[in-house]
Formats: sequence, structure tokens, C-alpha cells
Amino acid sequence: MPPPRTREGRDHRDYRRAPTGEEAWEKWDWNCPETRRLLEDSFFRDEDYIRQGSEDCQKFWAFFERLQRFQSAKTSRKEEKDAGCPKHGTSALADLPHTYDPRYRINLSIIGPDARGSRGPGRRLPPERVSEFRQALLHYLDFGQKQAFGRLAKLQRERAALPIAQYGNRILQTLKEHQVVVVAGDTGCGKSTQVPQYLLAAGFSHVACTQPRRIACISLAKRVGFESLSQYGSQVGYQIRFESTRSAATKIVFLTVGLLLRQIQREPSLPQYQVLIVDEVHERHLHNDFLLGILRRLLPRRPDLKVILMSATINISLFSSYFGSAPVVQVPGRLFPITVVYQPQEAEPTTSKSEKLDPRPFLRVLESIDAKYPPEERGDLLVFLSGMAEISAVLEAAQTYASHTQRWVVLPLHSALSVADQDKVFDVAPPGVRKCILSTNIAETSVTIDGIRFVVDSGKVKEMSYDPQAKLQRLQEFWISQASAEQRKGRAGRTGPGVCFRLYAESDYDAFAPYPVPEIRRVALDALVLQMKSMSVGDPRTFPFIEPPPPASLETAILYLRDQGALDSSEALTPIGSLLAQLPVDVVIGKMLILGSMFRLAEPVLTIAAALSVQSPFTRSAQSSPDCATARRPLESDQGDPFTLFNVFNAWVQVKSERSRDSRKWCRRRGIEEHRLYEMANLRRQFKELLEDHGLLAEARAAGPGDSHSRLQQRRERRALYQLKRQHEQGGGRGRKVLRLREEQDGCSSDEDRAGALRAGDSVDIQDVKFKLRHNLEQLQAAASAAQDLSREQMALLKLVLGRGLYPQLAIPDAFNSGRKDSDQIFHTRAKQGAVLHPTCVFAGSPEVLHAREQEVEGCDGNRGDKDRMSSRHQLLAFVSLLETNKPYLVNCVRVPALQAQRPEEEEDEEAAPVSPREVAALSRELLQLMASKVPYSLRRLTGLEAQNLYVGPQTVTAAPSLPGLFGSATLTPHPTKGGYAVTDFLTYNCLTSDADLYSDCLRTFWTCPRCGLHAPLTPVERISHENTCAPDPQDAPPGAEEATPEPLQKASALQRPYHCEACQKDFLFTPTEVLRHRKLHV
Amino acid sequence: MASEAECHPLGMFACELCALTAPYSYVGQKPPNTQSVVLLEESYVMKDPFTSDKDRFLILGSRCSICSRLVCMGPECSLFYSKRFCLPCVQKNISAFPQEIQQDVEKRKVPSKKPSSQLGSRT
Ligand SMILES: [Zn+2]
Ligand SMILES: [Zn+2]
Repeated sequence: MPPPRTREGRDHRDYRRAPTGEEAWEKWDWNCPETRRLLEDSFFRDEDYIRQGSEDCQKFWAFFERLQRFQSAKTSRKEEKDAGCPKHGTSALADLPHTYDPRYRINLSIIGPDARGSRGPGRRLPPERVSEFRQALLHYLDFGQKQAFGRLAKLQRERAALPIAQYGNRILQTLKEHQVVVVAGDTGCGKSTQVPQYLLAAGFSHVACTQPRRIACISLAKRVGFESLSQYGSQVGYQIRFESTRSAATKIVFLTVGLLLRQIQREPSLPQYQVLIVDEVHERHLHNDFLLGILRRLLPRRPDLKVILMSATINISLFSSYFGSAPVVQVPGRLFPITVVYQPQEAEPTTSKSEKLDPRPFLRVLESIDAKYPPEERGDLLVFLSGMAEISAVLEAAQTYASHTQRWVVLPLHSALSVADQDKVFDVAPPGVRKCILSTNIAETSVTIDGIRFVVDSGKVKEMSYDPQAKLQRLQEFWISQASAEQRKGRAGRTGPGVCFRLYAESDYDAFAPYPVPEIRRVALDALVLQMKSMSVGDPRTFPFIEPPPPASLETAILYLRDQGALDSSEALTPIGSLLAQLPVDVVIGKMLILGSMFRLAEPVLTIAAALSVQSPFTRSAQSSPDCATARRPLESDQGDPFTLFNVFNAWVQVKSERSRDSRKWCRRRGIEEHRLYEMANLRRQFKELLEDHGLLAEARAAGPGDSHSRLQQRRERRALYQLKRQHEQGGGRGRKVLRLREEQDGCSSDEDRAGALRAGDSVDIQDVKFKLRHNLEQLQAAASAAQDLSREQMALLKLVLGRGLYPQLAIPDAFNSGRKDSDQIFHTRAKQGAVLHPTCVFAGSPEVLHAREQEVEGCDGNRGDKDRMSSRHQLLAFVSLLETNKPYLVNCVRVPALQAQRPEEEEDEEAAPVSPREVAALSRELLQLMASKVPYSLRRLTGLEAQNLYVGPQTVTAAPSLPGLFGSATLTPHPTKGGYAVTDFLTYNCLTSDADLYSDCLRTFWTCPRCGLHAPLTPVERISHENTCAPDPQDAPPGAEEATPEPLQKASALQRPYHCEACQKDFLFTPTEVLRHRKLHV
Repeated sequence: MASEAECHPLGMFACELCALTAPYSYVGQKPPNTQSVVLLEESYVMKDPFTSDKDRFLILGSRCSICSRLVCMGPECSLFYSKRFCLPCVQKNISAFPQEIQQDVEKRKVPSKKPSSQLGSRT
């Protein structure tokens, strides 16, 4: 225990001696540490209610000092007065003490040291003082009881005051009579916290409650545990991707929809649950819609399973009718009246045509609030904007305004903010100052902020939309739905009457769609289809969705999964597909993991796959900070973003293992959100376990320290960590703080201050503690340092694994990029032309590494740029996602050698069968040889017209190749769309329309024969035939690829092909031009 | 879990004057898990739900020593003055109590404050 605080100027010699006898009687000092220690030794022993050194012990002394001050003030005023009570008839009243003393009001007593015998250390203390101390202790215990009881009573009052409290019995009654009940009520009616408790009170014990968001699972489990008074028991638990508080005693578990679906995957009839609550069904999340479909099929087979669907009052009939007109219990919200003001934005003549949002209409609302409402009248403002760019535009202007008026604190709120920054919206503004929260639609349903009196609704939202043809996600701005507009408005009336300013016309509102577009109509369905296949729910096309997805999205997803080898030609799950379905990640990342473990690169691939599966750890604010950029530079890899992330994670792990307390600071310096790194570590561990479970990775032997001493040491450390964790949990969450008037928004420095202030007096980094408890830091560190020792070969193989995993997500640099500015570099993907690099991409700042640098190929015409440049080092970009906002952006790019990226070499892997080490080694060697091979080739994107005319098409019957041995034992089948013959999935023989114009432009380049010195413009075929005559060494014909390296490279024959003329009934060997010429003869 | 069994609820405590209900795990004067504290009345006790410390208890209420109604500890329902008295019984026999108690009871008639709104939360 820290020594009690002392007042200044005290004589320090007093502390040295313990007061004894008469001397102590005169110079008694409660603050003397020795005195206190003696008292503590007798009253606060290990078996006592309060223990020496505990937090409670400190609290007691603080209470004691307050009590002393209070009593001395009172005795000076008090006159002794014995108000003799009249004798009373009732026996209970008869023996009431006549003289009032507060101690008679305390209903407990402590067994002190004297009652236990006078041998204790306390006998050295004067009995009067001991008794004084005992009285204080009693008051303290009594105070504690009253406080805890007060909390309990307040809790129950608040629960009873919730709108839903009147409906508890009705919900239970309806559930008794029906299998499915819809509970509809708006945010704030208390359904999410109360309905589980009603079930608990009614005796249900196997209840699952699904939530769309992980964070809601945790906060609801805490809240419900608290309210149902089993906060520290384990009746209420949660289960999310990396954490579970579930135990045998758990009666209610909050879990994510995704996790419940995985449980269904294991046990389709869900035998472990009696009641299932599906919360927030109105949000229409992809997984929620799917779950509803599953449940509708399951319910007839599980007549004892009860389902409660909980929804906001949005489109309730849809859910009710989907479950055979299930009864609806509708709970009115608790809303105060809200005035709606329509303020449509007139065309602003002075605004430039820039894409930046005009902040002036928002500022006008701030002004009008300042003009109309006195600052003493509290009430904050919540502004709904469509996205982060819009938030920053308004933020800047509003802060300028705020610094003028001193009446606003402006705070952004969106999901890319750090958790600490998000939490700031819950802090309170100083008196006379209002909060102005600029938020995305995150504050519409998922974050509830109290004290909002004004709402500004821009009427816009940015949402993902999906173009199945281009397989492209677009982040686009849309008008919101009427339902969303009502939700936004409602945020103004939760604590009192409010005002909602709509920055659009009432006629606009009337034209809004009634409900938002469900997610299933907006996103790629690859993962959903994969999951459906692995759950054997039958053909996704006929699955009874509550609202079916667009057929084109389904078809694209199925085709994509077939392309990826996850589904076979009959659309059944392949072994690799079922493995991918187990991995809660994108198909491409899953492939990466599988390939990585096959090529003995599991450790680095685990890290990279985890890094690519979480939100970018780089904070936005750091982009503008040169300090952060400089600090980050050594971690950047010119190989691509996945490698930068790889370096960041490894460096962070090193920092953690060397001086873990500094890791937070380390991250802040570099503009890195540490939380994302913790997520990566968690995900990495999960991937590792999954790979181990499937035998793809040998389970790590528990490499514990050998000797018993260090084992003991380790155990002790873990125990200490657990202790810290418990203490933190008891300490409760972060309290509300008062905001500073001017919050600095920029960069690293203020972050540092804030974090310092945030945890003043609490030096424990709880994230760090949890991290150490969850992970084996030694193992992680070993992996991180091994990453620095990757050989060049391993590095090359790693890139290949990434490239192959991401295939066919490849982009080719535009031919004229080397002549363009850094920011104007464009790339073309299979489906999208003119994509650009995402500004966070490492190549955005150094695109030159993507240009084909090597010009040593003799005879290359230096003036031609990359276009048609012959090189053995052309590069493609493999990207994780293509995101369209105002432009199509390539996100998370890695550069890969063009030729090798196109070679799907690992055909034999597709079976996912265990491959012998020798085979792997041989395969790796071959792949590396391929990587090292220097075959000059030129790379060119085909224009739309060329692509259209590229293939002969299936109508034309072309000659089967008569080159024995060229294609090995591959069987040739006619290609359904391209025509010609499919040899492998990347090589189609004789499918190209050999148009002369195409070739001359595309392939004819100046070339010097290295052997005879011939210098002439030749097509590759012409070149090959020359080489064959010049030096008969046909061994390594350059391997071919799909569209990017046109296929005639393989064709050993001339441009002529067999032609059968119907008119003259003769067979010819013609080039296409000759065919046309010949046809003209018959016209 | 050992602690689970020890604080297993015996039943529901329900105040006869207000709506308060809570599960209790012990009735008597010597709360479990602590040797140093004794209660001066037969009380209904639960494990303190607001701390993880398992030997912390919370007294919910006890019987009125006049009418033997089961009442909670809340100041609107009962008071303790060497014994437990429900507030109706105190009011009926107000003259039997010392002046300090009388003044205190007078104060309690002022209606209690409404529950204050909670912290913002994510739902
Ligand atoms: Zn009561
Ligand atoms: Zn009574």
C-alpha cells in the first residue's frame, strides 16, 4: 500500500516511532503510517472483509478522513440534549435506545481484534482509538451497503421505466403459443437488453441472441449481465470470432450471425438452443437474410425451437409474412416530439465545379442554432453526412466557425477512426458549449449518443454497390430511404423535444425509396455461395431468400468459384472449396493460405493473409503528417502493399517482444492504429489453427522452456498478467470526460497527448496484457525474425504464391505510364480499364518500379516506351480488391512478373491432397527456374475491338493441331466461346482470328537475331521460325499465357489455316485476308 | 465453478412495499465467506453483483419487527434503528422514535428523483 498522503510542514520525526501508552494518547495522529499499519494488521487481515493493501483499504482511509472532518465539525455545534422518549406499548418499540446515536442505525457489526483475544498487534493501541476506528469502519461498511443497494434499486427503476417493460409478459405469452414472434420497436425501447432477461426470468436456459456486429455482442453481454445481476457469474456470455466468455453455466449467449451460421454448419438442427433471438433483422445484412432462410427451413424440423425476430419498426410485415404471418408485438418508442425543418440546398452560384462538398448549408444550421437557442439550454448536434471526405470538408469549415464563436466542439465519427477517437463522442462538452458530431450513417442505428437535440440530415449515404458483370464493388453516393430519414430524425428526440433539419425538399423525401436496399442486392456473393455450398442447402438459385439476390450476382459468384477451382463443373464443392469455406476470408486470401502452407511458406503467408483481411492499419490523419510518413518509410516495401504490411507487423512484434510498453507509442509515431495489429495477430492465430486442423500445417510442438525454473517464471508472469486483466475489468470502463473546447485534429502529436491523459494513473495497457495472454510472443517473434532471413528464392516463391492466390485479379500497367506523372498512372484489369492506384498504395508514390526497366534486349527500339517493349521483366499488379469511388481504385497491390503470374503451374495442388516433401521441393525448384527464366516478350492490352475480333469463335471449325507431343498428353476439346481447341485453361490452340492488321500492330517489332545479326520487323511466329532455322534448338519454346501475351506464340504453323470453300468445294491453306479475297471471287 | 455453487440463489427476494425483486443466496446473520462481519438482524443477502470479489455480500432486506412484512433496505421502504421497521409502521408510531429519526422520515416524504439518463451506449 502506498503511504497515506501527508500534509505539508509536518514533522517527519513523528513517523519513526510507534505511539505508545500515555504519550500516544496526547500526540495521537491518525495519519501516522505506523498507526495505520497497526490498525490494518488487526482489522484488515487476509480473512477480513477488507484486506490490507487492497483498493478497498485505500477507499476506507479516504472515507475515514472525510468522516473525521465531518464529525469534528458536528461536535463543535452539537449540544448534549437527552430527549427522553415516551415509553411505548409495542414490544418492538419498547426497548429502543433512548439517546440517539447514529451507530444504532447500522445493521451490522464487526468482530474486532479484542473479541478475538487480546494477543493481536492491536493491543498496543489505546482502546478508545480502536473503538473510534471500529465505529468508522462500521459506517464505511454501512455506506458501502447503501451505495450498492442504491445501484440495484436504480437499475430496477430504469428497467421498469423502459417502454418494453409493459410488453414483457405479452412477448412471453405469444412465444408460448407461436414458434416465431416478431418484436418490433425502435432503438431505445430496450428490446435488445430486456427480451433476453425476460426469457431468463421465465426459466429459459439455452438462449442465443445474434447481433450483426461483434462490438454489440460484447457490450450487450456486459449490460445484460449487469442488469440481471449476474455480471460476475456466468449466466450471460458472448462469443465472437476470437473471444468467448461462454461456460457451462451460460444461459444466454450473444454471438455474431456469422458464428451462429458456423454452428449450424456443424450441427444443422442447432440442438444446443431452445430460443433464438435474431436481433436487428431490419438491417438486412447478407448473413442475417441467409440465416432467416435457414431458419425457415429448419423450424418444421425443430418444432420445439422458438425464434424471436427483433426489428426496428421498418417493414415488419415482410418478416411476419415470411414466417407464415408470425404474430408481431409492437413496442412504441420513447420519443419526444421532433420538429422537421426542410432546408433544400439551392444551387450555389459561386461554388466551383469541384467535387468537394459545400459546407455552407451546414454552417448555416450552426449559425441558426446559435442565434435561436441560448447557450445555457443544452443539447448537441448530430450531422449525418455520406462519407469521410464529406465529413472532413464540413469538419474544416465547422472548426473555423467554432474557433470564432467558442460555442462548439466539432467531432468526427466514422468507422475508420480509432476506437479512442470514436469514444470521444460520448464525452461531454463544457458548459455553454455544444458538441457537433459529424457522422456517417454509423450513428443511424449502431451508435447511440445521448443528449442530441438537433439533427442535420444531408439525405445522402455512401454505400457499396456491386456490378456483377465487372465484378466490381462501387462505393457510391445515394439518396437515403424514407426509413433511414426517419431513423436519423428520431435521434433528435431521445432525451427531449428536438429539431431535425433536412437539407432537401419535402418532395425529395416523398420520392425516396421506402426502405434501404438490402445488402444481398449490393455485394458480391462469392462467400455466401461458398458457404451455402458447404452447408449443403442445395442450389443457391432456388434457396428461399426473404428477398432473392439478383440472378446475375449469383451466376457471377458461381462462375467465379468454378474459375477458382472451389466448385467443379457440376457446381459441387471441391476439396479446396470446402477448405476455403472453412476460412472466414475472401476466396483469394484463402487460396493464398493453402498455397503458402504447401510451399513451406506458412509463417509469412499467415501474416500477409491476416494483414490483408483487416482494415488498413494506417490512420488517415497520418497521411498529411510528414513525420509519420518519414517514420513509416523504412517499413515500406517496393514489392507492394502486402509486403509493407508484412514488415509493419513483424517490426511491431519485435517491438512488443523487446519493450512491449512502447508499442503503443511506436505505432502512434508511424500513424498506425495498433488495434488493427492486434486484430491481425488474432486472425493470424485463427488461420494457423484452421490450417493445423486441416492437416495443412504441422502443429507446433509446445516448445516450452526446458528447466523448471523458467517454467515457474513463466507461470508466475502469466498469473501476474491475469491479475492485471482482472483488476482492469473491475476498474470498469472509461468514464465520461469533459471535452476541451478546441480539439486538435491533426496527426500524431495530439494523439500522444491524449493517450497520455487518457491513461494517467493507469499505466496498464490492457490491450498489451490481453495480447500477451492470448499469443505466444516467442513464437510470433521467431516468425518475425525468420521473415528477415527469407532467401531470395523464398521471397520469389512467396510473391508467386501471392500472385497465384490473387489470380485472376491482375492489372496491367498502361503502355504509356512511363511518360505520365506519378498520379496519372493507369492500369487495366480484365473487366475494368483505366483503374488507378489507391492513394495509400506504395506504388502511388513510386510508380517507376512498375515500368519495364530492362532494355538490354538487343535491338529494342528505345523510342517506343513500354508499348511493345520487349523485356523479360514486364510486371503486372496483383490486387486484393478493386474499389470504385470517384475512380476505380486498385487496393493492396503487389507487383509480380507478368509472364510467371499468368502461369497456373500448380494444377496438381487443386486436389489439396498431401504432397510429399520431395514433390514440393521439386515443384518449388521448377517454379523458381521459371521465375528466373528470361524470355523476352512484349506485353499489351487488347482494345475492346481487338478483343471482339480476337477469336475465331465456336462457329468456325479450325484444324486440330497436328503437332504430336507439343501439348503432351492433354486432350483437346473445342473451346465453347473462343473457338479453336482448349488445351489447358490458359492455352487455347488456334482460336485467334489471325487478322493481319492486328498482328502487324500488336506483335511485329524490330528484332535482331542474336546469331546471324538479321535486323527486321518480325512477328513472334516469324521470329521463331527464323530462330529454328538459324539455330536448331527448339527446346524451350516460350510458355504462353492468356490474353495478355497473345497465343500465337505457341503456334508453330504459319498464319495460314485450312479453309474449305463451300462454293468451289475445295480445300485451301489461306490466311484470313486470303480467305476474304477468295470469297470475293464467288460474289 | 465453486463460487457458482456457493452463491446459488435460494429464491427470489421481493419487497412487499416496492417492486424490487432480486435473487437471494443466504438468509441469516452470518453472511457466507466472511468471518469478521455479523448482521444485527435476520437478513436476506445476495452476493454483491457489482464486484467480482466473491465474499462481498449485499443485504437486500429483512422483516419489519412490528408487522413482519418483508421489506427492502431502500429508504422509501424501511429504516433501521436498532431493529428493522417498515416505513408505514414508523409513521404509525412516529412518536416512539427520537427526533433525529422523525426529521429523517419527514425528509423522505419528498418524492425521490427520477432516474437519470444513462451514458450513451452502442446497441
Ligand atoms: Zn422496498
Ligand atoms: Zn411494519
